[in-house]
Amino acid sequence: MTEVSLTKLTKTYPGAPRPAVDRLTLPLTCGKLTALLGPSGCGKTTVMRMIAGLLQPSSGDISFDGRSILGERPEDRRAVMVFQNHMLFPFMTVAENIGFGLKMRHLPAAEIATRVDEMLERVRLPGMGARRPAALSGGQQQRVALARALILQPKVLLLDEPLSNLDAHLRLEMRDLIRGLQQDMAITTLLVTHDQEEAVVLADHVALMLNGQLRQTGAAQSFYRRPADAEVAHFFGGRNFIAGQSRGGVFTSALGALRLPDGAPEGPGLLTFRPEAVEIGAEPENSLTATLTDCQFLGSEIRLLLQSGGLALEALTRPRDAEGLAPGKEIAITLPRETLWVIPKTPG
Amino acid sequence: MSDRWKILLLLAPAMLIIGVLFFGALATGLVRSFNYMPVLGLTEPSLEAYAAVFSSPAFGRSLLLSLHIALTSTLLSALIALWAAVLLRQSFPGRRIATFLFQLNLTVPHIVGAIGILYLFSQSGAFARLAHATSLIARPAEFPALVFDPYAIGIILQYVWKEVPFIGLILLANMQAIGDDYESAARSMGASRWQAFRHVLLPMLMPGLLSASILVFAFAFGAYEIPAILGASFPQALPVLAYKSFTDVDLAARPEAMAMAMVIAGISAVMILAYLRLTRRGAR
Amino acid sequence: MRSLRLLSGAVLITWLVLPLIPLAIWSFARGWRFPDLLPRDWTLAAWSYALSGTSGVLASLGLTLGIAAAATAASIVIGVPAGRALGLYRFRGKTLVQLMILAPAIVPGIASVLGLHGLFLALGLTNTVTGVILVHLIPTLPYMILVMAGVFANFDTRIEDQARSLGASPVQVFRYVTLPAILPGIIVGGLFAFLISWSQYILTLVIGGGRVTTLPLLLFTFATSGRNDVTGAIGMIYILPGILILALTARRITGRSGAIAGVGRA
Repeated sequence: MTEVSLTKLTKTYPGAPRPAVDRLTLPLTCGKLTALLGPSGCGKTTVMRMIAGLLQPSSGDISFDGRSILGERPEDRRAVMVFQNHMLFPFMTVAENIGFGLKMRHLPAAEIATRVDEMLERVRLPGMGARRPAALSGGQQQRVALARALILQPKVLLLDEPLSNLDAHLRLEMRDLIRGLQQDMAITTLLVTHDQEEAVVLADHVALMLNGQLRQTGAAQSFYRRPADAEVAHFFGGRNFIAGQSRGGVFTSALGALRLPDGAPEGPGLLTFRPEAVEIGAEPENSLTATLTDCQFLGSEIRLLLQSGGLALEALTRPRDAEGLAPGKEIAITLPRETLWVIPKTPG
Repeated sequence: MSDRWKILLLLAPAMLIIGVLFFGALATGLVRSFNYMPVLGLTEPSLEAYAAVFSSPAFGRSLLLSLHIALTSTLLSALIALWAAVLLRQSFPGRRIATFLFQLNLTVPHIVGAIGILYLFSQSGAFARLAHATSLIARPAEFPALVFDPYAIGIILQYVWKEVPFIGLILLANMQAIGDDYESAARSMGASRWQAFRHVLLPMLMPGLLSASILVFAFAFGAYEIPAILGASFPQALPVLAYKSFTDVDLAARPEAMAMAMVIAGISAVMILAYLRLTRRGAR
Repeated sequence: MRSLRLLSGAVLITWLVLPLIPLAIWSFARGWRFPDLLPRDWTLAAWSYALSGTSGVLASLGLTLGIAAAATAASIVIGVPAGRALGLYRFRGKTLVQLMILAPAIVPGIASVLGLHGLFLALGLTNTVTGVILVHLIPTLPYMILVMAGVFANFDTRIEDQARSLGASPVQVFRYVTLPAILPGIIVGGLFAFLISWSQYILTLVIGGGRVTTLPLLLFTFATSGRNDVTGAIGMIYILPGILILALTARRITGRSGAIAGVGRA
């Protein structure tokens, strides 16, 4: 098990106006799966390539168990990348693909064969070794790519959007497989993705990166409940942002006075809450009336567009809670105290 | 290692070879065309060779002949290739054989084609024998001079034989890339088969056709062995005249050979610029 | 309409093979006088002469093969890196580099080879096989580079990064990943280079000074000396490698206009 730490890691491409990765400091906990989340172009792939040794950082450090590895060549780092489009070698069989890294280390052919067979079992592809990658399904190819990396018992496994090319039903299966193998083998893993769901379902820790900078780290729920700023909240699907004042646990705005959970920041700021947190009906605390402007059926959920105090609000609710609602109707809604959060207004 | 150094290292061997062998050779030829050849005691640069070449009637005839060969061969090849490509695109028995022969023809060296044309069209060749068998002629001399002739008919026939498949295969590849949809769309808007070809397919094929034609023109203008086998002794194609001056026992004729080589290089430079303009436009 | 198409097709097919027919007939003819439509007597004399040691045809065949193989090998070694630079990178001056590579493919050999003779004379390379191999690079190298630039334009370098990340050294990456991936392109480009060198006449004549007698030079000599039967036999031998190469690669040649240009200029 390897503890990986990134310290003030910076990469500026020649001719670029600002760094692609800007002073990123992030520990990757031993044997845990950390997700580096961000929209495409935020610099997350650059981070992964630097850890793998495929890119040289402009400044900062990468260390494995406290020892800097910047001087090591990619093939010596044992930081193994699994690319998004699996990058299987098309002119090799499945077994040759999986055994590739061991062959590069000049292991005896017999030992390679045994370990490849073991690995095929582990990724549930027994007996498929003689096939060509092109003869496999997308999910199977992804599993071969995973096996090819895991057989090397990497110090750190680097996964680039491992679920993004898969159909919905395969994603669940693949997720369980990755999760199972990663925990089984206790490999320190960095997952890079633009998909918040992929990050949330796979990762122990999530780190959100926007425009080359780390914006928030923590457990997955904290991004929904306690976003650090409006951009983070937006990225996680936040829709409701109401300007006002937070003082003494009460937020005052055009919606009136709403009670805040303990520890909410004080001063001018934006009140935010998730659309799915809005409850239909009145409660003793934090209730208000709103006019329903639109009602959209989304399958398992209903999306309600509301107007209150001259502000537009958005709510998601279960279909049976929305029965009898029609646009134009005035209804009571409740914003439960624990689901509210305040993003402090940043000066300037 | 930065990308810039990587690119430089990757390109260096090729640029060195092309720089020395090709551009170095052209530069040497250029210097010598100005009568500068210290080995032969010529140390005063002058335009004598160019003056001699441009004032010689043989050079003028040769230049005209080579231009005629290149232009006529290119036009005929392009037109026939267009017709053949349209034909080969449709299905008919023998289409596969014809396509195979197109490719086969590309692998046959020009000199073999030239000898083949010689044996077909000379005054004692296969066609003359056919003419005799059908009582059209009595003696070989009565058969029209199609090779060694002043109009370079044999030479042009050879180029047409070799270049129709060359242009044709490029057109077929382009047609395959374009597909049938554009023509179908035109047909559905009321265009006849001919109109769909003329106003839709042909304009799309034009860049490929023109750039292939430029390659053919440059080759037909500057090739040596075909006119050397099939050409008349006067006027001679420019490359044949240049090589003759080059091998002249009188070494003073060498600068003139170099001057003629420079004329050929100059005309091909124009062709390259035209080719670049066309391929650039096609790429957009 | 259909019968017209059939007729046109028949004319086209006939025209495509026509010039090769008298050549083939001559190689088996014992004297073929005017106005006989076909030779009266058939013989293998021309073939046995051509294949005997005295005619020099076999020696010339070996020499031509050797020169073409050497020029092809050199083109591959020099052309693959250059093709990689052009296919993978954008850089300042790229248009100029492309122009410099394209030029030797278009400018006729006679324009450069007369000057090159002077250079090679000073270097002692005239009348030598080495000199001929070098001069053949002028037309072969550009096509090799252009074919490889096309191959690398479709090459995803992440496959090399992947191999590196799996523990392969740069040499191992090339040996086990890059080379197998680009091998089909190298084969196609190499075959074009081979055919181009195989067909050279004037470059060999000027630099070889008549001492390096490749097949086309020998063919020219026999053709202009009136030995039609031997000319026919040598001609048949001379076109054989091209046909073999075509039979092996017919599928790959179709539909690649850039690549076709290589053989077309051969």
